[in-house]
Amino acid sequence: MTVIDLITRVDAICKKYEKYDIDKHKEANVTGDDAFARLYGVVESEIDAALQKSEAAATEKSRATAVAMNAEIRRTKARLLEELPKLQRLALKKVKGLSREELEARNDLVYSLKDRIEAIPDGSTAAAKQSGGVSGGWAASSSYTGIKIDSSSEEAFESEYFQQTEESDRFRQEYEMRRMKQDQGLEVIAEGLDTLKNMAHDMNEEIDRQMPLMDEIDEKVDRAASDLKSTNVRLKDTVNQLRSSRNFCIDIILLCIILGIAAYLYNVLK
Amino acid sequence: MSTSDPSKLISKADKLTKLSLTRWSADWKSATVLYEQAANGFRVARNYEKAKLAFEKASQGQEMLSSPWDAAKHMESAAALAKELRNWAEVIDFYRKASELYMQCDRPQPASDALAKGARALEDALPDDAIQLYTDACVILEDDGKEQMAFDLYRAATSVYVKLEKYTDAAAFLLRLGLAADKCNARNSQCKAYLSAIIVYLYAHDLKQAEKCYNDCSQIDAFLGSDQNRCASKLLSAYTEGDVEEIKRVAQSSAISNLDNVIIKLARKLPTGDVSAFKTDAANEEEPLDENDLT
Repeated sequence: MTVIDLITRVDAICKKYEKYDIDKHKEANVTGDDAFARLYGVVESEIDAALQKSEAAATEKSRATAVAMNAEIRRTKARLLEELPKLQRLALKKVKGLSREELEARNDLVYSLKDRIEAIPDGSTAAAKQSGGVSGGWAASSSYTGIKIDSSSEEAFESEYFQQTEESDRFRQEYEMRRMKQDQGLEVIAEGLDTLKNMAHDMNEEIDRQMPLMDEIDEKVDRAASDLKSTNVRLKDTVNQLRSSRNFCIDIILLCIILGIAAYLYNVLK
Repeated sequence: MSTSDPSKLISKADKLTKLSLTRWSADWKSATVLYEQAANGFRVARNYEKAKLAFEKASQGQEMLSSPWDAAKHMESAAALAKELRNWAEVIDFYRKASELYMQCDRPQPASDALAKGARALEDALPDDAIQLYTDACVILEDDGKEQMAFDLYRAATSVYVKLEKYTDAAAFLLRLGLAADKCNARNSQCKAYLSAIIVYLYAHDLKQAEKCYNDCSQIDAFLGSDQNRCASKLLSAYTEGDVEEIKRVAQSSAISNLDNVIIKLARKLPTGDVSAFKTDAANEEEPLDENDLT
């Protein structure tokens, strides 16, 4: 059998069992007047593509490529979310050949679509939570009442975007612990600085208090020193006068005379 | 000579000073010497009564010899012995006399020191007299222009007032301290004095007074830009809001912990009484203001 024969035979069989072909039916539906179904089909295929891309990004080793892919996914999500209102309007329109239940079902389909779009992981939720925590933390440290703001935004994050990878969770916890430790350390430092400042001020005042006393002491000591100097000079003069050479020689001569007289008397009496 | 019996010395000295037929003028010089020796002998023998007497007589002798400095010194020793004997009237008397003698020597500082010593001795027994002595001592120093030395005296007087629970007087004294500090540019002491005054008013549960005091002090630039100012405003706003936790937290802060010990004790005991009463007062005050704005 040649290839051509095979192809013809396959075509014949497909035509025979066409009514069991779901994809073709779907396409047939879509190519009909039903705009809703057409748009819905397009959105669904885009969602599938985005999901596949996000899975690829999760397994991607290189951070840069992962970031680029996440950005791409985010753009797709945004576009899809824009088209959702259009879809919603179309869903409400009545189309011939469609039962009422199916019309209501279409509305629900649109809503579920919204959730599915937003649920696509794009690596931004963890980052958003972190940045929200950081900015809330800065507000908290500026005033005591700010702490309440921080906790409420955290709750909002956790309820709506409950998409945390284990890594981001751990990172966040570590960040919180470090921030607390830093705050404690800074408080200790602040207290120490306050004490130092007070002590320095007190020392300043004490020294100011003692300055005039020192000046007085200085003056008094200067006066006493000059008094001593003048007294010393006078004393030197007096002693010099007493020990002048003339008096000294007269003293020695008189001493010799007395010794001579004593020796003479000693000789006489012996 | 000093080892001989002090009472004998005293009797000898008395004989020298007593005027009689044989003696026409008292020999104060030798008498004073004998009195001093006798006094020292008595003090060593722990015979405080006789020692005090001897010091008195020695001081009198020195006065006669026109040396007020020595006279004052002896008076002070006599006063210290009187304190041992717990003879408070004499303590006051002697310290005042000593202070006058120091003023005669033209030395105001030892004069105020003498009064301060007297006040410290009397703090427990006669607190009112103690305060009087402290005030006089501060006046002496201020007249001399040495306010800085008066800070300690003001603080001591304030603690006595607080012990007596006379809080308005204590706060008034603190404001005087602030004034003295202002004169000698001691900004830190000044701000601490004002903060202490506000705390004393709050402890007396007198929010109006405290706020008035705060407004007065805010007129002063040095206080306005200081740590103590911020602490005071936090404390007052916590009071007007009736937030007990906030009050306790501010009382633990470092600005208050740098104040005097007595004031720290008061601050830790805040708030006294019912703070929510102040809260409703503040709320009532706001309503009339709103009506005025509308009209």
